[in-house]
Amino acid sequence: MILMTQAVLAALERGLNSLLAMDAVAGRRLAGLQGKVIAIDCPTPNFKLFILPAYDGLHLAAHHEAEVDCTLKAPASRLAQLALSQNKTAILHSFNVTLEGDSAALIELSDILQSLELDWEYELSRWIGPVATALLGQFVRKGRGWTDQSHESLRQSLSDWLAEESRTLVGRREGDARFAEIDALRLTVDRLEARIDRLAQRRHK
Amino acid sequence: MSDQRKGPEADPVTHFGYQSVPESQKAQKVAEVFHSVAAKYDLMNDLMSAGVHRLWKRFTIELSGVRSGNRVLDIAGGTGDLTKQFSRLVGPRGEVVLADINDSMLKVGRDRLMDEGIANNVSFVQADAEKLPFPDNHFDCVTIAFGLRNVTHKEAAIASMLRVLKPGGRLLVLEFSKPTSQLLSKAYDAYSFSLLPFMGKLIANDSASYRYLAESIRMHPDQDTLKAMMETTGFGRVTYHNMTGGIVALHRGIKP
Repeated sequence: MILMTQAVLAALERGLNSLLAMDAVAGRRLAGLQGKVIAIDCPTPNFKLFILPAYDGLHLAAHHEAEVDCTLKAPASRLAQLALSQNKTAILHSFNVTLEGDSAALIELSDILQSLELDWEYELSRWIGPVATALLGQFVRKGRGWTDQSHESLRQSLSDWLAEESRTLVGRREGDARFAEIDALRLTVDRLEARIDRLAQRRHK
Repeated sequence: MSDQRKGPEADPVTHFGYQSVPESQKAQKVAEVFHSVAAKYDLMNDLMSAGVHRLWKRFTIELSGVRSGNRVLDIAGGTGDLTKQFSRLVGPRGEVVLADINDSMLKVGRDRLMDEGIANNVSFVQADAEKLPFPDNHFDCVTIAFGLRNVTHKEAAIASMLRVLKPGGRLLVLEFSKPTSQLLSKAYDAYSFSLLPFMGKLIANDSASYRYLAESIRMHPDQDTLKAMMETTGFGRVTYHNMTGGIVALHRGIKP
């Protein structure tokens, strides 16, 4: 079990550090956190992970017997949300998340990971050379542009077809007009109800 | 396991693998082994253990409890695997001493660490583990990874480590040990005495050194004997963790 844990951590560490190495400034920012220890304590499923940032990347450990600067205690679902969400503050204030110690270290680390700009072309050029990388980069950028355009066009066509052709959905403008009519009707009903109440009160008097 | 002695008037003898040699010759013979394997040491370690030695060392680092500003001694540090990690953990305010009795191994370790830009908090010392040239109560942590079995007087080496540790400091001994299952033990014997010397011949052109490796592992004290040895020397709270079915064990003791 000891070696299994170590193997998983080593693989995770290697993957993370390969990603971090692709960002020009991540190493320098992580060096500022050197010496800090961040503990992740997850009750469901039960595991504890220690993150030790350093100039050469992140180091992960299952045990750490010295002092910890910051401990984040949260279930795995919250940790996943925290990793993916832009609004980390809201998640950190959730009822089943507790943060102890120097939260600045955790927030800085999270910011470094969030703002990674991966220079994959540099990494690739080391393997296949600059010319092939430039050609591949151009191809990938064109492909990405075509995919974005196609996606937008497909979304527009689908929305038009659902609203105009199949009449499955109501179009935005038609929907807005209908909602405006409903709002007006609701106001009229409210006024009518108020008038009836007033008449009823006058009658009782 | 104490070294054999034939009587007060005879030259004391000790083991060198399965051979009995005069004590005065063991260090020289061990030195010859390591002079021979130094250049291919890392490659052979990776091949022999299929890279698992890196996981054994990771766990050793985790249990060391080393933190920023600490002073660490890595005895028999060889090519500097542990020193590299300790250097990062202790930071610029700390200090790591890589000590090895063998100058060939020390040179390989020094060159490797310098090539990787690790120099500002690491010093290199050629030293005998039995007579460590450091003041009393000096280090927060002392480690010896795959080195203790090559030491002639193990008790003397452990006592020397105890002396240089600060009270509350930790000694970590990572060493080959005794497999916990009979089946694994048989497979391990077959591997050690046939495949290992063959790999040594193929890669490092030296089968004798790798035969010595296999023999020296069998002559090394098992988990409980080494634990008792550490306790007798004066370490407290001695515990050990078996890894890879007991092929390797990590002993940890605290200086009271």
